Amino acid sequence: MGRLIKRYRWAIPYVLMAPGIAWLAVFFVVPNVRMLQMSLSEGSVERGFTFTWDVANYTDNVVRFGENFQNSVIFGGLATVFCFLVGYPLAYTIAFRGGRYKNLLLFLVISPFFTSFLIRTISWKIILGDDGPFLEIVRDILHLVPTNFSVLGSAVAVVAGLTYEFLPFMTLPLYVSLEKIDRSLIEAANDLYASRWGAFRRVTLPLSLPGVFAGSLLVFIPAIGDYVNAELLGGPKTQMVGNVIQARFLAQNDYPTAAALAFILMAAILVGILAYARLLGTEQLTGGRA
Amino acid sequence: MSQRDPVRPLSSALAAPITRRRMLQGSAIVGVSAFLAACQAQATPTAEPTPTAPPATPGPTPVATPTAAPTPEPTPQVPTGPLNFANWPAYIDLNEEETESPTLEAFKAKYGVDVNYVEDIQDNESFVATIRPQLQAGLDTGWDLIVLTDWTAAKIVAAGWTEKIDQANVPNCVANLRDELRGLDWDPNQDYHYPWQSGATGVGYNSTKTGRDLTKVADLFDPAFAGKATLLESVQDTFALVGLMMKAQGKLEHDPEEYTLEDAQKIHDEIKPFVESGHVRGFTGNEYLQDFGSGDTWVAIVWSGDLASSGGENDVFVYPEEGSFIWTDNMLIPKGAQHKYTAELYMNFVYDVAIAAELANWIYYISPVKGAGDKILELDPSLADDPYLASLLFPPPEVAAKQHTFVAQTQDEENAFNDLLFDLTGQ
Repeated sequence: MGRLIKRYRWAIPYVLMAPGIAWLAVFFVVPNVRMLQMSLSEGSVERGFTFTWDVANYTDNVVRFGENFQNSVIFGGLATVFCFLVGYPLAYTIAFRGGRYKNLLLFLVISPFFTSFLIRTISWKIILGDDGPFLEIVRDILHLVPTNFSVLGSAVAVVAGLTYEFLPFMTLPLYVSLEKIDRSLIEAANDLYASRWGAFRRVTLPLSLPGVFAGSLLVFIPAIGDYVNAELLGGPKTQMVGNVIQARFLAQNDYPTAAALAFILMAAILVGILAYARLLGTEQLTGGRA
Repeated sequence: MSQRDPVRPLSSALAAPITRRRMLQGSAIVGVSAFLAACQAQATPTAEPTPTAPPATPGPTPVATPTAAPTPEPTPQVPTGPLNFANWPAYIDLNEEETESPTLEAFKAKYGVDVNYVEDIQDNESFVATIRPQLQAGLDTGWDLIVLTDWTAAKIVAAGWTEKIDQANVPNCVANLRDELRGLDWDPNQDYHYPWQSGATGVGYNSTKTGRDLTKVADLFDPAFAGKATLLESVQDTFALVGLMMKAQGKLEHDPEEYTLEDAQKIHDEIKPFVESGHVRGFTGNEYLQDFGSGDTWVAIVWSGDLASSGGENDVFVYPEEGSFIWTDNMLIPKGAQHKYTAELYMNFVYDVAIAAELANWIYYISPVKGAGDKILELDPSLADDPYLASLLFPPPEVAAKQHTFVAQTQDEENAFNDLLFDLTGQ
């Protein structure tokens, strides 16, 4: 037995990886190849789809749905920024001041997941509605906005929905990286006459960057492809690429257009991530410190 | 086939002799559905009558159904269930507590079958998209009875995606269907459809919110209702109404029956600025009912009976001065349906005059059943004093004179029209 293992030692990593690779091959590579093929086809469900290298599916649709792509990038980006702005102080407080309530607080962060995503988004529809509690306070009691002001149907509602939805995805990686920071490093900074802000800026923040990186990817990627928030909370002008893909696939059976859009979105995300990784430093990502 | 006029191919398809190919296709479908039925029967432990009759029973052979012909087993004349019935919201009568439907309960009790009634159809296009791939592949859609509007029903029938109704099973329908609904181009002999209800597309509003009564389509675009208006995400409904408004204003020459792509472009251009400015808050299917409920929508393009049956107290429907759009929704049995006989029994059941009257008098749509009108007045004499509700059930002559239908379209025309709508809805 021992000799056998020794002899085939080189194969062990492959054997261990086999289930994962098989999974990826069946559920990622095959569907994507099929989708790539579909994205270069033309036809309809009735007439059947024929693979014709129809590149126009890409070139035409990127222009035609340019506004939707723009919405996706802006809303996804804003949601990521807001998640960071809300999530960082939250994670910081839990990691450094949580004390014995840490686990309870973390549980509270993820507790919304115990309710269906759809129910939560529909609840926001009620909260942000024209006769809902939010406008009742802001408009009717505080008179901060004009009487014909609506939140629902606007970009504000969509970004708010996305931020709410993906906040835990930002908070948890941030918490992990903040929690791991060796407190003696901060004490050392203080001993060396760093102000509290200085210590945060020069020690805590850089050490938490892997968390920022992971968190922002975990928020940005699903947010940019989301369609439920724009569908339920948005209006005709705030439709994202996900809505178009959804409508083309499921409401019109226009598979080639939907597949092409999905690929464009994937490519855009990939390019974006590579640029972002370059910016924040790939070692931070691969260094395994997160 | 889809390239051509959707109305035409049907008659030729009907006239065409049954080719061997079609026979084979048909038997394949029956084979698949029988297989699925067998699976389902095994999976459900309940003591429902199984759809497969013992081979020894001679039973009446189904005539004229090319799909069933090659199989040795006759269609079992035993109602099987549950009847999977997809319909639109606010389209069935409910009891006081709104927990169940009296007519559905009566049907269940009468035939001892269960009905899986699902309000799954918010608009024609997106519902058909959910079953089109199965129909194309010759698979069971999971539905036994669906309700689709004329233009969509015509396409489904023309594509050969519906089961042929055994007229012997639907004597009430044969006897009671109103004459003006018979002999339509797309299914002249009622081989594939019987109407569910007819209705109109017009303007709906909440009179408390608007503070005044609306009378015209043009009222939807009153600046006072900025951000509170929704339109329907269906070309036929929205473009027909806005087009009628434009015609009244002298901006458009044609009626909806004769729209060209050029007209559609003009209608699109008329609506676009209102979408850009946010005046039009969105495009909806039947879910406008929720938006009226939450107060987010004050004025909208809606279907005639919904607000009366399922809206708030101050939600009102009005036939616009410019004219309204009339349509009929039709019951169809999708190809490969598991419980076709039960679906036929149900069609027959709702064509019973008393049942039809009970149903229409709750949902406030126009019953396709002869004599239902008199029965409704008998059931509910107060209608005589309620011109609003009466107008929904029995459109007055001055309204009927201004009602229009939509132009019959080829697939390419329809796509072009739809693209104009998608530009408005942002998709």
